[in-house]
Order: sequence, then C-alpha cells, then structure tokens
Amino acid sequence: MTATAEQTSTRSTSSKKHGWGHLAVEAAVLAGLLAAPFVLPLISMSMDVMTRSLIWGLFGLGFAILFGFTGLLSLGQAAFYGAGGFLASYLLTNGIIEQTLLALLIGTLAACVLGLAIGLLVERSKGIYFAMITLAFGEMFYHLDYSTLSGYTGGENGLAGVPVPLIGSYTIETSLGMYYFVAVLFFLGYLLARRVVASPVGRMMMAVRDNEERAKATGNATHLYKLVAIVLSAAYGGLAGGLLGIFQNYMPPEAFAFESSAQLLIQTVIGGAGVLLGPLVGASVWLYLHDLLQFNLGLGQSWKLILGVIFVLLITFLPSGLLGEARRLIHWLRARGPADEADDNEAASTVVADAGSWPVDEPTPEYGPVILEARGVSKHFGGLAANSNIDFSVREFELRAVIGPNGAGKSTFFKMMAGVMPPSEGTVHFDGNNITGKGVTRVCQMGMSTSFQINELFDRLTVRENLMIPCLAKARGRFRLDMIRRAERVPELDARIAETLELVNLSHRADTPVSHLAYGEKRRLEIGLALATRPKLLLLDEPLAGMSPEERQNTVRLIKSLRAGRTVIVVEHDMDAVFELADNISVLVEGKILVEGPPDEIRSHPKVQEAYLGGVDA
Amino acid sequence: MSLLHVEKLNSYYGDSHILFDIDITVERNEVVALLGRNGAGKSTTLKSIAGAVKPRSGSVRLNDHEMCGHPAFEVARRGLQLVPEERRIFGALTVEENLKLAAFSADDAEPLGKIYELFPRLEERRRSGGRTLSGGEQQMLAIARALIRKPDIILLDEPFEGLAPVIVQNLMQVCERIAAEGQTIVVVEQNVYAALKFSHRAYILNNGHMVYEGTPADLKAQPDILHQYLGV
Amino acid sequence: MLTDLISSLPPWGLVEAQMFNGLQQGMLLALISAGLTIIYGTLGVLNLTHGALYTLGAYAGYVAYQATGSFLTAIAAGALCTLLVGLVLERGIIRYYYNRPDEDQIIVTFGLGIIIVEAIRSYFGGMSRNMPAPDWGQGASQLGFLQYPFPLYKIETIAISAIVLLIFYLVLYRTRLGLVVRAGIEDSGMVSLLGVNVFRAFFVVFAIGAMAAGLAGVINAPITAPTPDGGEKFLVYSFVVVVLGGVGSFPGAVVGGLLAGQIMTLTSLFYPSLSEVMLYVAMALILIFRPRGLFGQAGRT
Repeated sequence: MTATAEQTSTRSTSSKKHGWGHLAVEAAVLAGLLAAPFVLPLISMSMDVMTRSLIWGLFGLGFAILFGFTGLLSLGQAAFYGAGGFLASYLLTNGIIEQTLLALLIGTLAACVLGLAIGLLVERSKGIYFAMITLAFGEMFYHLDYSTLSGYTGGENGLAGVPVPLIGSYTIETSLGMYYFVAVLFFLGYLLARRVVASPVGRMMMAVRDNEERAKATGNATHLYKLVAIVLSAAYGGLAGGLLGIFQNYMPPEAFAFESSAQLLIQTVIGGAGVLLGPLVGASVWLYLHDLLQFNLGLGQSWKLILGVIFVLLITFLPSGLLGEARRLIHWLRARGPADEADDNEAASTVVADAGSWPVDEPTPEYGPVILEARGVSKHFGGLAANSNIDFSVREFELRAVIGPNGAGKSTFFKMMAGVMPPSEGTVHFDGNNITGKGVTRVCQMGMSTSFQINELFDRLTVRENLMIPCLAKARGRFRLDMIRRAERVPELDARIAETLELVNLSHRADTPVSHLAYGEKRRLEIGLALATRPKLLLLDEPLAGMSPEERQNTVRLIKSLRAGRTVIVVEHDMDAVFELADNISVLVEGKILVEGPPDEIRSHPKVQEAYLGGVDA
Repeated sequence: MSLLHVEKLNSYYGDSHILFDIDITVERNEVVALLGRNGAGKSTTLKSIAGAVKPRSGSVRLNDHEMCGHPAFEVARRGLQLVPEERRIFGALTVEENLKLAAFSADDAEPLGKIYELFPRLEERRRSGGRTLSGGEQQMLAIARALIRKPDIILLDEPFEGLAPVIVQNLMQVCERIAAEGQTIVVVEQNVYAALKFSHRAYILNNGHMVYEGTPADLKAQPDILHQYLGV
Repeated sequence: MLTDLISSLPPWGLVEAQMFNGLQQGMLLALISAGLTIIYGTLGVLNLTHGALYTLGAYAGYVAYQATGSFLTAIAAGALCTLLVGLVLERGIIRYYYNRPDEDQIIVTFGLGIIIVEAIRSYFGGMSRNMPAPDWGQGASQLGFLQYPFPLYKIETIAISAIVLLIFYLVLYRTRLGLVVRAGIEDSGMVSLLGVNVFRAFFVVFAIGAMAAGLAGVINAPITAPTPDGGEKFLVYSFVVVVLGGVGSFPGAVVGGLLAGQIMTLTSLFYPSLSEVMLYVAMALILIFRPRGLFGQAGRT
C-alpha cells in the first residue's frame, strides 16, 4: 500500500532516459480532468460526485505524502480539513475577505500552523502511537468546533451562506464552472506534490518510511522531514476544506469529525496510498458506489455495510490499492525478460567480478594525529557496568580492530563510539571536536560513519536510491527545505553516487531493487551507505557477519581497498580476517581494555589467551 | 537411538547465512559442550534446535521425533528446554510466578520444594519481583525454570556470562550435581576450561561451520586447535 | 482574596455530584481501556473495533432485555455476544495480520469496526433505542452522606464496573491464564519457549478484551441510549486513557480511566464546553513529560 522500488526506480531511470515521461503523465492527467465532465456522465457519474472526488483527491494528495511516502498513518487529518475550511468559510461568509483565493490561502496557512503545532508534539512517535495521538487530537478539534468556538463555526449547524467563488471580478455560478475551478486547484496541487516527491525532501520522506534509523545514521534530521510531511498534509487538508465550504455554500461541522479522517483513509486505501492519484481514484470509486448502492440499487442504509466488506476484502487481498496494484502489475510484466538472466548469474558474477577488482597488498601508510579519542568512558545500565573507564585512541589512517570474548561490552562500546548511545561518564572527541552525546546524525555530518552488523538498508528502493540518501545528507546537511528541485539535479550527486558504487563494486547493479540483491551484495551496499558521506572515520560492526568463506575473502579485500585515505575501526570475531587487516588490535574484556598492540603481540599475549579460553579452572 | 540428533542444519538471520550444515548428536545422560568464539553461531545453533529461530533446512530429531521448524512450545513440550543467553526473566512476575508458569504445561513437573533445595537463594527471594533480582539470581531462576519442567535435555546458553567468580562456582556446582543425577545437558560457554571441566564431549564451531568434535582430553592434548578456533 | 476565590467555587453539593459522575464514567472508561490495553500489550494490535464492540454489547443487551425483561440476562447477553464476536474476529482475520506492518493492522480493525457498526445500523436503523434501567435501579439515593440524591442506577453501575474490574484483576493476577497474559505482554517468545501455546493465549486475550468493551456497552445503555455511532467516542477516550496510563498496563488503564473521568466531570463544573478538551490537554502533557504513561514501561512507544 505504499510506494515501491519499482515505482521510484522507474521515476529515476525515466528522468534520465525519458525526460518527457513526466510531462506525458502530467499532460494525461490534465487531459483527463478536462474531459471528465463530458465522458464520465456516460457511466452516470454526476458532476457533484466528480467535484467532490476532486476535493477529496486534493485532501488525499497531502495524505498520500504523509502516509504513502513517509509512512505515517494519521487518523486526525480532519482537524486540518475543518480548520482550513471553517476559517476560509468564516472570512467569506462574513464579508471580511471577498476574494475567494485569498480566503483559501489564509485558511490553508492556518491549517499549516496547526499542522506545525501538532507535528511538534507527534514528530518523535510513529506507528501505533502516532495513529492514536493524531486520532485524539482530531477529536479534540471536533469538540472545540462544536462547543467552544461554536460562536464562529455555528456549532452543530455549521456555517451557511458561503458565497460563490469570486476571482478578480468574475464569479463562478455554474456547477461546470465550479468543477473546473476545483480541477485547476487540484491539478496545481498535484504538480506541486509531484515535485515534492521527486525532490530531496521527498527522498528523505521515503527513507524515513523504509528505515528511519538508517536515515538518521546517514546524517539526516529525520524528525524535521516528518514535520514537513505533516505540515504539507495539513496544507492540502486546509485547502480542500475551504473548497468544500465553497462548493456546498455551506461548511458542515462533520468536516472536523472522525468521519472525515476515516473517509479519507478508506478512499486512500482503496486507490492506493503510495500513488499520488490513489486518493482521487479511491474517492471516485467510493462516492460513485455510494450513489449507486444507496439510490440506484435502493439499498438505503446498507450501502456502507457493503462498502465496508469490500474495503476489508481489498486491504486483505490488494494491499496496495487499485492504482498501486495496477502499477505493480505493470512493473512485473516489464521486469520479465532480460533482467531475469542477470538474477540467475548473480552469485557467480559477484565472486568472479570481485576477484580482480581491488589491489591486494597495500603498504602500511603513515599515521596522522589522533583522530578519535575516548577518555574515561563508562556505561552503566542500572547497576550493571557494561563499560568501565575506557581510554581509547586511534590515529588517522590507522586500521584498528576491536576484539573481545562474549559479554566483553563490545557492542556497547561500539555504540558509544558511533554516537548511537551517550556514555554515562567520560568524553569522546573526534577530529578535535567533542562529540559526546551528540547523536548519530550530527556525528555523521562531522565525518564519522557506521556500517552495521545486520543490514540496515532502504528495502523498497534501488541501490542508487539507497546511496542517494547519505549523499543528499552530505550535499545538503542534516536538513534542508528544498521541495521543488529534482533530487537528481543536486550538484555532484551523480558523481558522488557513481564514485561510491565503484568503491564497493556495485556499479553494475545500480538500478536493481535491494530485494533482488544477493547477500554479499547487500553487505557491500551496507558498507557503501557508510562510505557515501566520504567519512574520515569509518566504523564497521562485524562486516563479515554471516558470510561464506569466499565472501569473507572478498570483503577483506574490499576493506583493505577502502582504508586508503581514511581511518577504519573494525569490530570482528573472525580472527583470520582481524589478523590480516589490522594495524593494531584493542582487546576488550569485561568492559575494560585489557591490552592493545600490533597483531603479533596480541597473538602471543598470555592474558589475551586466558581471557578467551577462560583461564584456570573457574 | 540418540536423545538428540541434528543433521545438516542451516539457519539464516534475514538472509545472513549463519549456520552451515551443522551436525550434532547428544546421547542420554551426556553433557556436551558447544565451543567457539562469539559470532561462531553457537547461540543460533541452540535457538534453532529449540525452535526460537526457524532453520531453513536440516533435521532435528528429538527422541526420534522430527522437530525442525516446529514452534518453540512444541519443542519444549517434547522435552527440550532452552535457557537463553539473555535469561529473559519475566520482570513483572515474582520468582515463584516465573516458576509456576514454567511448571504449567509440563506433564510432570518437579515440585517447588525440590527446586528450592537446589537453589535456596531463590526460596529466600520467592516473592520478589523478577526485576529486582541480581544477575546471578536471574541466572539461577532461568535454570530453575528449565529444571522444573523435568526436561529430557537442557540447553544452556552461556550460563556463566557476566557473573562474579563466586556465583559461577555456585552455579557450576549445581550443574555438576544435576549432571551427576543424569540430566542431559548441552552447554554453550566461552569459558573453555569451565566447560571442559564438566562435559563429556565437545564440539567447536567456527564461522558457522562445525570444525571439531572430541573429548575434553582430546582437546587438551591439542592446544593449537584450542588456540586456532577459540583463542586468538 | 482567598475567600473570594473559595466563594466563586461551585457549591460542594454540585462538586460532590460531579465527582460521583466522574467515578461512574471513570469506571466505565477503565473497563473499556483495560480491554484495549491488554490486547495492545499482548498482541501488539491496536484494536479499532473496540468502539464497535461497545455498541454491539449495548444492542445485544437491548435485544435480550426486550426478549426476556431481565436486566441480568441483558448483561450476560452483551458479554457473551461480544466474547463470541471477538473470538471470530481474532481467529478469522486478525491473526493473519500479526506479521503485517502495524498500519495494516490498524486499517483492517478499522474496516471491521465499520462492518459491525453498519450491520447494526442496517438492522436497527439509526435512531437510538431505549434501554430502561432495571427495577432495582430506579430512583435516586443520597447514600447517607451526599448532599443531593444521586441516580441509583449510576451508583449500581459503579458497583457493577468495580466487580467486573475486580474479576479482571483476579483473572490476571490469580489464574494461570492471567499469568500467561502478564508474561506474554512482557516477552511472548519466552512464554512459548516454556511450552505454552501463546497463540491460543492471544485468542483468549482478544476475546476477553472484546468482552470488556461489550460489557461496558450494555451496562452503560440505560445511561446513554445506544446508537450505532455511540461507541466511537469511547474508542477515542480509551486511546487517551491508554496513553495516560501506559501501554499494556492494567493498573494504568484503571487509574487512567478514573483520572479521565474526573478530569471530564470536574472541568464541566467550570467550563462545560471544555470538558473533553481538557482530557486531550492532559494527554498532550503526558506526551511531553512522560511519554510512556503513568505505569508504562519505557521503550514501548
């Protein structure tokens, strides 16, 4: 039910090869909107349903961005719909503002402010909590509308007498005119939404949906992008609400009710949340069937029961919605053929291609000054001290391995170095700056990147799109509100991505969705995500985890080739790899550093053997 | 017929291939040690046998019943009990409630009295909430929970990890006692000497492959094997 | 100054009455929320059918009352009906969604809620049904200490809710099933490792949670006449209570519910139109200062 790799990959490849593809889609939509009043009546769809569908479709553009692209299910969008709608209607009805577009603008802005306020409260939650809280806030506004503010909103009577649209000196008095008025605004909203989705901000939203933690770790302030999504959805909601009041000459209190949020959700799910036009299609289907079932077939009150059953069947069997599933079908049909052969030869080609790609022996480089220094670092969990008073320093261009028996506190130590977890005591300095407790995002922006033991990839995107995320963070900082330009047009983005693909030998797989990659390739992408920000310091957590012997060899070679010009810290259990790679080894035992030194020293150190083998009888 | 016979077991973590064609056999009344550096796949092996992780292929025969891929509660009911590395004590329940829960679904449970005799400290703390227990007490409770079910075979995942030597000694004594009473045990332990002290046989895992099988005496006679796979 | 402040407060008799109202509503909310929080805590499913189940209980009770004239039968009918529907829902649909993302679970329970409510509307129509209080609930009483007489049925609702909550408590803390549920809320995987079929427990948990909502519906029917849409607001209130009290916590649901009841009724003494809004303000405050709720465990948001 949300945007898939196939959809987004088509967008990126088509922007390169078929730049006109975008314009063709938009032209088609425009043509459809213009032609609808003449074509749809043939299946007895009324103008009323068409205009209403557009209003819901507009509301849904924002919701698709929030839910389909950013992955946040809000059950309280009615708050924005009502707020924008009532404010615009109030201004127009009381003659405070005469120009309709101005009133709509004010309503929309008010909805944005509301979106910002609520967004600040919920930006750090997601999933079930997000849904519950947005639902509750939506209800809160319904109550405010009904009671406290009823002087302005008319309470349960709503606001009647909203005048017909006045644009300049023209009024719109016919239903056809009304339809086109709404259609134009919908189309403009649609164009904007497309730009947003194709922009770097849009990419970040999808990254948040797929793997928020990784998006953070690659240097992005994800909570701010979530806030943008919420405010955008509020803007579309507010505008749609205003249009509702004008269309009906009446602003109903139900606009604020949960009913509205619910109807929006239903329609979006029917059409497909991952497709911008999904809510429009869903609304058309819902409203059309409503009329059909209730009136034409005379089912009276039972129409909603039948639609409810259809809805549940749809979620269960067509989770991506009508448009979403149609799109998946098209991609599936297109993907059959040449691409399959590549899949079959995957395993073989990766090993063969890997063997010759990288230089095998590298002379030990000169070390620079100390680049990472932990002083007196400790971590307590309740009464348990996972790490005690650790002093740890690594020089620039060094390749340091951290090893230790189980329970030594390696993963805690690693998390503290990477900025994932703040220490209970002590400080961590990187490149001269105090990074203690600054968090992964800032640390990444400063030049230290991590790759994880378990692959943390953006599962629904292609390899290139995955690498776009850290590269955009590097090019734009942790947050930038660039919603209008195309992501691909960010300067040097292509060059950076191409460079990274080369480094991890995935250039030939750039446009493959992550789900089609072999395990070894995924691990390389995992490291690639960390490399893409051109870090001075690369932290690798068990890079060899779960690999077959050949994959291990290849990865060791990869790491050797990567160390040129940067500092690398590796946590590993594979001793052969450790001894082959490391300049120096730190041995962590029971939360403290036992000994540090070059491989030969460590190998023959009696205390190290004791720590691993358990020493004398327990 | 062996009590536990594992053949060509392959387990993945996502699509990370962790265990490669593992073979293990455990006879009744034996204590078998599973050794290897961390990351070798020892925990995953125990979890795969117990049903906490679903293996991708292979055979796990318990008392001649095929259990590979069966849900954990079925494996537990067939007489195999895993004591996980993280202990996983129910913090919201008391010590006694933890034990009672374990005893429920066992056809033939050990009386509480017998458990408290093995672990007098737990009797002292019977009404304390799981959250308030120390590391050593939690480990005792975790083992006690397994024993109360009178399992045919117990899998101990790093039982001595992170505990003070005194407590480790105490627990070792308990393990030796139940082993002497005939309890079949598979123990994963990084403390090699401790493990070898009370086991009859040992397997060594390296990078997900089974690389050695032998008795403690065999192993002690081959220190280079020890160093290669277990040391540095 | 102080005396001015005191004299501007409403008369004690009114405050007292509202506190009792708050207690009655609070107990009701506690009951509904306890069901919701147990389901969410154990199964990880946010059950959006909860409001519909409340309504279902009310209507089932109504039908039984029309048929037999016995209020106790009505209560039993409400409870039983929602218990069975809960079982069917879990076995029939919800269990297939355990491995699907959270959002899908929310949407399907939402859809199921619509089906239940619309089925009721199709059959009974949209007008409210009248469910009179039982004979033993007619009239009002001062209970020997109240300033104004308080409706007897409301007092009885408090008692009935308290008894049901007590049974809930006893089941949770004194039975095997309760032990399994409490352990399952914490770590369902470990429960399975100890030989207990958690899936069977899930299904019982869902059914009991559903029953709690249905019971609340039938108990409250004489106070708020049942309508097809009547359950929706209780759904939202129960969310607020779960956020206040903490996910998966039974004491949280009870305390949260009682707190919510008092917040609403006492606010209405001063600002009647803001009574519900205050509830949401309380929720916002908890989210800012203690997101896990009063009794919740950290890390579950």
